[in-house]
Amino acid sequence: MSRLPAQPGERIARERVVRFTFDGHPVEGYEGDTIGSALYAAGRRTFSRSFKYHRRRGLMCCAGQCPNCIVAVDGAPGARACTEPVREGMRVEHLNATPGLEFDLMSAVDRFGGALTPPGFYYKTFIRPRKLWPVYEKVLRHAAGLGRIAKVHPDRQWQTEYRRRHTDVLVVGGGLAGLRAAASAAELGADVLLVDNGPRPGGRAIVDGHHGTAGHLHDKAVAAGVEILDGATALGYFDGLVPVWQGSTLHQIRAQEHVFATGAVEQPLVFSGNDLPGVMLSGGACRLASLYAVKPGNRAVVATTSDRGLQAAIALRKIGVELAAVADLRSTPGPPADAVRKLGVEVLPGHTVVEAQGGKTVAKATIAPVQASEADGGAPPTGRTFECDLVITSGGFVPAASLLVQAGAKTRYDSQRGHFALSDMPKSVHAAGEVAGYEDADSLSCSGKLAGLAAAHALGLGNPASRKAADELRERAATATAHPAAAALPPAVCGQGASKCFVCHCEDVTAKDIRQSIAEGYDSIELCKRYTTVTMGPCQGRMCELQSVRLMAQEMGRSLDEIGTTTTRPPTTPVPMGVLAGPPFEPAKRSAIHGRHRELNANVMWAGDWRRAYDYGDPEAEVLAVHRAAGLIDVSTLGKLLVRGPDAGEFLDRLYPNRLSNLKPGRIRYGVINSDAGRIVDDGTICRLDDDTFYVTTTSSGAGAVEEWFSWWLTDWGMRVYLTDITQGLAAVNLAGPKAREIMERVTELDCSNEAFKYLDGKRALIAGVPCLILRIGFVGELGYEIHCPSAHGEHLWDALLQAGEEFGIRPFGLEPQRVLRLQKMHILVGQDTDSESTPFGAAMPWIVKLDKEEDFIGRWALERYSTESASTTLVGFTLSDGRVPTEGSVVLDGGQAPIGQVTSSRFSPVLRQVIGMAWVPAGRASDGDTVTIADNGRTLQARVRTKPFYDPDGEVLRS
Amino acid sequence: MTDFGFGGEVVRRPRSRPSFRELNSYNYFRRNVAGVQREWWFHRSGCRAWFIAERDTTTNEVFFTARPAEVEGAGAGVDGAQKADGAS
Amino acid sequence: MSLEFLDASAAVKTEGFSPVARSPMERRARAAGAQIEERGGWALAVAYAASEQEAQTISHAAGWADMSHLAKLELQAEPDVVEAIFVSNPSAHFELGTAHRTDGAWWCPLAPSRLLVICEPSRFASVRRQLEDAVGAARKPVSLVDVTTAFAALTIVGPLSREVFARFSALDLRPHETPVGAVRPGSVARQPGVVVCEDEDRFLMLFGWAVAEYVWRQVEEAARRLGGSPVGIDALAPLDAAVEEVGG
Repeated sequence: MSRLPAQPGERIARERVVRFTFDGHPVEGYEGDTIGSALYAAGRRTFSRSFKYHRRRGLMCCAGQCPNCIVAVDGAPGARACTEPVREGMRVEHLNATPGLEFDLMSAVDRFGGALTPPGFYYKTFIRPRKLWPVYEKVLRHAAGLGRIAKVHPDRQWQTEYRRRHTDVLVVGGGLAGLRAAASAAELGADVLLVDNGPRPGGRAIVDGHHGTAGHLHDKAVAAGVEILDGATALGYFDGLVPVWQGSTLHQIRAQEHVFATGAVEQPLVFSGNDLPGVMLSGGACRLASLYAVKPGNRAVVATTSDRGLQAAIALRKIGVELAAVADLRSTPGPPADAVRKLGVEVLPGHTVVEAQGGKTVAKATIAPVQASEADGGAPPTGRTFECDLVITSGGFVPAASLLVQAGAKTRYDSQRGHFALSDMPKSVHAAGEVAGYEDADSLSCSGKLAGLAAAHALGLGNPASRKAADELRERAATATAHPAAAALPPAVCGQGASKCFVCHCEDVTAKDIRQSIAEGYDSIELCKRYTTVTMGPCQGRMCELQSVRLMAQEMGRSLDEIGTTTTRPPTTPVPMGVLAGPPFEPAKRSAIHGRHRELNANVMWAGDWRRAYDYGDPEAEVLAVHRAAGLIDVSTLGKLLVRGPDAGEFLDRLYPNRLSNLKPGRIRYGVINSDAGRIVDDGTICRLDDDTFYVTTTSSGAGAVEEWFSWWLTDWGMRVYLTDITQGLAAVNLAGPKAREIMERVTELDCSNEAFKYLDGKRALIAGVPCLILRIGFVGELGYEIHCPSAHGEHLWDALLQAGEEFGIRPFGLEPQRVLRLQKMHILVGQDTDSESTPFGAAMPWIVKLDKEEDFIGRWALERYSTESASTTLVGFTLSDGRVPTEGSVVLDGGQAPIGQVTSSRFSPVLRQVIGMAWVPAGRASDGDTVTIADNGRTLQARVRTKPFYDPDGEVLRS
Repeated sequence: MTDFGFGGEVVRRPRSRPSFRELNSYNYFRRNVAGVQREWWFHRSGCRAWFIAERDTTTNEVFFTARPAEVEGAGAGVDGAQKADGAS
Repeated sequence: MSLEFLDASAAVKTEGFSPVARSPMERRARAAGAQIEERGGWALAVAYAASEQEAQTISHAAGWADMSHLAKLELQAEPDVVEAIFVSNPSAHFELGTAHRTDGAWWCPLAPSRLLVICEPSRFASVRRQLEDAVGAARKPVSLVDVTTAFAALTIVGPLSREVFARFSALDLRPHETPVGAVRPGSVARQPGVVVCEDEDRFLMLFGWAVAEYVWRQVEEAARRLGGSPVGIDALAPLDAAVEEVGG
């Protein structure tokens, strides 16, 4: 056990022991521990095997950035041991090592496979013979990857709750700057939400011994009304929407002002063996010690580019870690160097670590003077070698700016700081703290307060005093950022020894790989990224982008600005797919009568947005019932629009190619809507209710689009017309069949005789006590009444009609029988028999276009042209004699087997005892009696063209 | 997003009978600018009103929204071909 | 009106037929244990549990009640006409997004040329008469349509009501953004909707009649997780007691 005595800011509760297992072995930790800290305290040093070479990897950042400690928790891969809190009974397992972490067969790749595994090796080494690729692929899939997902995992099924939230100010990052920003915005009266990924805000301050300040600020923020989401990660910035993942909740946060205080990411140094367990970032070692009271090692070698590494050295010494040597890459180390020397430790200016060696963990490290660059495979560096079990590195800090960049901020290379720093900030976005280039506790806090005030001021809050304070802070902040603390720019590669130098730990990309990529011509950062996969691993470039850019710049003799950076994309952190999937929203529309269809055991199917009755078990019998007695179908899905106002008639004249302004009240006309390109958009019936009111029905699927279309033109034309979409307000049924009139007489006092209620009349009356609009139309080809009533009475109407029709043999019929019935009448279905290219002329409805209308109407100009040209293909009916129903969509062939048209609808007609259909055929073969060839799944069928409806061609039944 | 429907860039419908070329240009051609353009939008899930917005297509920044009557010289007319697709 | 076929309240009971208006959520309500009673021509879910239990839900979590029977009238006209009709109510101030409560009705200006009036069925006749009179006086084209059955409705009430909404809607219902009387047209569960803040922690949500079963499921899923449950209309405190008395 390497547990230290109580540390001032520690997160663990020593009185509460938590037991869990790692690869089946029991482990004990304390509440507040992470998996990583508990395992480390128990002596574990190897946490994973690397992606490609299966090298041992241990804790490095202890901040959830690097890939080294990714484990599976209770079967779910992808958890970072260093940040995932321990839970009683949790089952933790390693990933990517066979048979085990300590003995991994695949690590042979590291020793012997070097030449076989250059960048792109999948496609170089394993490409021949080509036939074997599927085998290679399986092996490679197993060898690489970061874990395996079980096919079935009932205990892992969970549903993320989406929680949409609004706030005035969203602060991401709960360090000193974030806390201060949140508190100062809230104190001015803003609604503030603070998102922090730790178990409790405080950020680096807690690690650095400022836990008192952090705690005080935390209390202050809470007192000011700040709501804190801890253990929460902001995943991205989408046009102002910030999704925040917190356990099983995904908050979708919309704020007016955003403060990003996301901190900075410590960078590793690139040297030979820099991935050995025991090579750790200074922040990682400090976090282990101060948050979890775990002693990271006994004897350390330190290499740093700034004071931060020196401070870490002092802190480690305090908890009893012996310091073998401290290398400062700067020629003049900063002030803490004196303190280090006072501890009796040698500080080597202008030196760095060039090589780490060891087996299971680091055993010794070599320190040598910093050289600008070293050739690949050059002589091992000369220097002094120290025995140690810990190598602490600090290669500078990179702003964690990915959210800011997604929000539109720009970055530019800052040669003084040696990283890409924020340059231009977008509107309503503020950066505070380390991400904005502030370093010491005082200026972090000051920049936070400034950002908080600026956000509040942007909301129109604040007062003269707060504005004055903001001005002062702005000056102080400018001074603070003008003089960054002295830091050395580390060479792209510090040293090259016998072992590999890793630029990218996630994907096992070495400095050599990057050089090779350049040599092979992948010499832009974006190409190099795709070729070597550098920056594409779980750290998403946080710990390798700068190094790879620096290396490319050095190799190609260009500036870092010229090389540039790769694009930052959401999510900023790997996230389980289940979190993003969330609960499904599958809006289903149901008719007011839908419950009855279910009770009648209808086969229910999707029809556009609607759930509809496909049939009630016997579509053929349902068709015959309509022909012989009566049928009842729910047509509530029809689009229904009220068009009202003094200009309503003229408005419709402009939208339809036929004339509607002369329609008499109480009469119905069929209409086809065209686009200005003369193509069919939708169809339906129009009934004039009174001088100023038209009732327009549309297809079920076109209802929404037609309303938008009408409303769009209305907005444009500014006529005295008002539209109301009452699609959902009315239930509608079609009562059809020879007995329909007799059934009507049982439920209404309305005179339904053929003389009083003619074909294409629309009447209003009580039916079964319910106010209805009754349209006498004949979509299905028999005497029919389409009855519309308030949705709330839909079920009552349905019940009453079925009951009244019982003695006549009425049957409910579904969508499928209706399709047969309408096909017998050659009534087209827009979207089924027509497509976006169909014109009324092609669809054999030239009569619908009234070019003698003097007014302009939508589609007029195009239709005028089509009226004079003969269409190349025409929609016709056809019959087949051999009894087989061709698949809808089958091709119509010309003599030479070239496709010249297609079948749009086809069914067997039980009443005609014949296969019927509709198809687009060449205009030259569109006359009655012509034959066309249909190719369907390898068969060819001879069809006979028919231009008149198959059933009741002259409409006598319909009008009777 | 389902709250708003996009109606395409504002295109002037010919005031009088266009030539074949003008008609095709009106029906099928759009400027498709990378930058600021005027567009039709529909508040589909809300008040169901059509309005005109000026938006930068590269940044998605909206500069103003207005009902057509409030937009001077916005030009009338809409994107016929596109709507036809939407409705079929 | 020539549009009586839109008027659910125009149904009449005869010897052979006794139509009762039904909410599209009646089956869901029954499945959730609702006690259904016929009142004023509507079958209403009046209670689910003991009244103390429903009161507890409303005061400590969130309850939802089927209010689809509320009468809804849509008025469209030129903006100046809409405004004139709106301010014909004493002390009414016309402002988009702010509803006016009067005589047991919510007058909701949804757009400059579109007004939605929502009221208890018992107030329907008098509110419609008031609107028709105003339309007659306007001497300009006005369209007045009964859209009662175009919109189903739920009242979501209780301290967690905003949290329930947060599970399926992105509307900003924070008290200072959506105060009592505010009306917000917007997407609920990815469907067009209208939300009226009727009282502190009480929202009336309108949505399409045909999507009601779907919306019920969404509300149920969200509210159940938060400890909510359906409540009968009898559990809802009357919004303005004086008016209810007159109307009742």
